[in-house]
Amino acid sequence: MTISKRRITYSIILILGLAWIFVSTDRTGASTSGKIPAPQQGFLAPDFELQTTEGETINLSDLHGQAVLVNLWATWCPPCRAEMPSIEKVYNEYKDQGFIVLAINMTYQDTFANIAPFIDEYGLTFPILLDETSEVGTAYQLRSLPSSFFIDREGIISEVVIGGPMAEALLRTRVEQILK
Amino acid sequence: MIESFRSLFAPPRHFILIVAAMWIGLTLAEKRTERHGVTKEQLNNIAFYSLFGYIIGGRLLFALSNFSAFSLSPLSVFSPNPDLFDPTSGLVTAIFVGLIYGQRQKLQLWGALDVLAPIFAILSIGLSLAHLAAGTAFGSPTTLPWGIDLWNATRHPSQIYELIASLVIFGWLWFRETEASNGRIFLNFVALTAGARLFLEAFRGDSTLIFGGLRLAQIIAWTILALALYAIIKIQSNKLHNAEERGQ
Repeated sequence: MTISKRRITYSIILILGLAWIFVSTDRTGASTSGKIPAPQQGFLAPDFELQTTEGETINLSDLHGQAVLVNLWATWCPPCRAEMPSIEKVYNEYKDQGFIVLAINMTYQDTFANIAPFIDEYGLTFPILLDETSEVGTAYQLRSLPSSFFIDREGIISEVVIGGPMAEALLRTRVEQILK
Repeated sequence: MIESFRSLFAPPRHFILIVAAMWIGLTLAEKRTERHGVTKEQLNNIAFYSLFGYIIGGRLLFALSNFSAFSLSPLSVFSPNPDLFDPTSGLVTAIFVGLIYGQRQKLQLWGALDVLAPIFAILSIGLSLAHLAAGTAFGSPTTLPWGIDLWNATRHPSQIYELIASLVIFGWLWFRETEASNGRIFLNFVALTAGARLFLEAFRGDSTLIFGGLRLAQIIAWTILALALYAIIKIQSNKLHNAEERGQ
């Protein structure tokens, strides 16, 4: 192709590209952000209702306005054990600013009797919820433990961390982000 | 089949796909080093140092930009957690390190970029597979028969569109661009990739929007496409000019 033909072809490509940009604008406000509940960044956090180890019932939707860390864990999972002290520490640092941790034990794949000693061993003060029927495991499409979902004050998932253990600095950066 | 693939490479295992792509890309690129005036050792070194720069730069600049969080737990900087990372800073550092290495080795910039182009193309394939596995870079809702169920809706399989485009771009570069070309292979890769992004971004459900619903990624892709096409013409003009001078 000669240079002049190439120039003309490229100009046409760029003009078509510009037209495509305008044709494909998203006037509906785009994205799926915040509209559909799904366990992915930018989506509304799927709601659930679970009981804590102390028998209290907690609904995620009742915590609207607070920054929430939903942490899925099990007592037999080494990285879950490793990150618990950091979660407890960061929870104590930020709880007065409206930050709450919901540590959901995957009870359907754990041994119930091991949960209370686990809580005592790490001195956990945030609510420990029991997922006995895999309600949350299914809704949050659990594939790996631990899995953490940082949810902002509007109920939108701001960040998903699959696997662990999470470093303290990671927890702080993410918590500060959802507290904004 | 897609579900089985997603289960097999669910995060954080999806990183395996990117590492495998890097390895395949490097192995393929080694086969074409000589014709571009680069040795296999130089190619491997440039890849290694750039990768090293990517990891160190991405982590350190993330730590610096979140200094208050790291000052309370400085050892977190050594955490194996991949989320403590800024990919853009990593990329800038990798380019910088690659340029320094190339300059010290007196490598011809465009020749080196031509050698690296297949690596970038294979990485792009690996990245689209990683997106598919993680369910990221997802499509907008659709009623088309080839839509996939993802994040509680039937969506454009944007990751598969991305994969097809990456495979076509790699095929084009690998089977058509076999001659030494002073940067044309690399620029073709950039132009084709930018063009594909410009087109496929329209089917994404996670676009960053700016005024009037314009998609930011399309505007960036269009700008890169325009620059790459301009550079391709410039290279061809120079080549022609040099040929004419030699003819005289």
